[in-house]
Amino acid sequence: MSLLDAASEHDALELLHDLGCTDGLPVVVPTAERVARMVLATGYEPDLVLGDMGPMHGAATIEKVATAAVMAGCTPDHAPVVVAGVRAVCQPEFDLTEMQATTHCTAPLMIVCGPARHACGEIASGFGALGPGHRANASIGRALRLAMINIGGARPGSSDMALHGHPGKFTYCIAEDEENSPFPGLHTTFGYEPDQSAVIITGAEAPHSTFFTGDRDDPNSVESLLNVIAMVMANPGSNNVHLREGAITVIMNPDHTEVIKRAGLRREDVQTELAKRATISVGTMRSINPTLFAQGITADDKGRFSEAADEDLIHVLKDPSRILVLQAGGSGLYTMVMPSWCAGPHRNAIVHSEIELDQACEIPGMTL
Amino acid sequence: MALVTEEFWPQGDFFATSSGMPEVPRVKLPHPVAGTGEDKMAEVASDITPSIVELLSS
Repeated sequence: MSLLDAASEHDALELLHDLGCTDGLPVVVPTAERVARMVLATGYEPDLVLGDMGPMHGAATIEKVATAAVMAGCTPDHAPVVVAGVRAVCQPEFDLTEMQATTHCTAPLMIVCGPARHACGEIASGFGALGPGHRANASIGRALRLAMINIGGARPGSSDMALHGHPGKFTYCIAEDEENSPFPGLHTTFGYEPDQSAVIITGAEAPHSTFFTGDRDDPNSVESLLNVIAMVMANPGSNNVHLREGAITVIMNPDHTEVIKRAGLRREDVQTELAKRATISVGTMRSINPTLFAQGITADDKGRFSEAADEDLIHVLKDPSRILVLQAGGSGLYTMVMPSWCAGPHRNAIVHSEIELDQACEIPGMTL
Repeated sequence: MALVTEEFWPQGDFFATSSGMPEVPRVKLPHPVAGTGEDKMAEVASDITPSIVELLSS
């Protein structure tokens, strides 16, 4: 890694902006001392490589990742989550190179599960957790983005070809509200023990708000809730509807999970029900992109629907386990649905990595 | 060989370099191609075919 020279913090910040090393917002200038301290916070050697970040194929060393964390405003407590996040997106199944280059707006949504939610700077899972005002969420998600820019080489219009992008490309990190959720920790569905911590990452669009007001006196309330979420999942403009792969994230608020709980449904039941109900008619697809649909959008679809009737239904996702269902957010009327890009050789699969809390070193008197 | 539209030419350069193939042959297409209709597609194909043949022969 090379060092830059500047006469002042102000000049250094301007230099970083000029070099395209920022996300457009001011960053904490990553001085050698600050980076060295952040490296120490990870508990790893600075030259340890976490993976290859495309499309530039930069080696994601601990030192470079620590630099991104410093720039993003992370505290040492956040470091284990940032490291786990980078390790996760470098897994080949995530298709990072293709994802960074796509014209779609996708961004990596980090879902933090387990004790790290509290141990790593109190990562928010309640009111406005995906919005401003939560330092850990903002800094951790931003650190991953800055690593994708500076190690992965994603720059708008030349290597990151997202036509519009979305605000989650600045930062997109949330914790699961495990304590108040009727579901076991989301990470346990990926094989982790409840007392382990993990970050689960999926390529996601911005949240699509889903309005639902429950009625305790209505025995069909849960049906209505599942139906409206499924309708949003089957948004005819989404990639999921056209490619029917990838993942869809469903973040339910506590009032909505209460409806699920009263109906006695488990997470896997919700996934199955949503997969069953999230459908779109052949006629709708024919009306959207008649030529493309007739040709077959994917190789699997070639000729598949040529004889189908307009009223026949197509399921949006083939595999219910690709619907990430979790609780987060404040109490109220809205659940969030995030469709995904779902292209790339592995269909931009869901990835995860353990957050190793026992690696971090205490740094006496540390103030970044 | 890669077929790259005008709008994506800088990305093509970036990927060629980052993939260790800076000299990989590329043919420039107008932008956009998708959705421009069969006649336009045929016109584009006709226009670029000599370039493709030339690059493959060189």
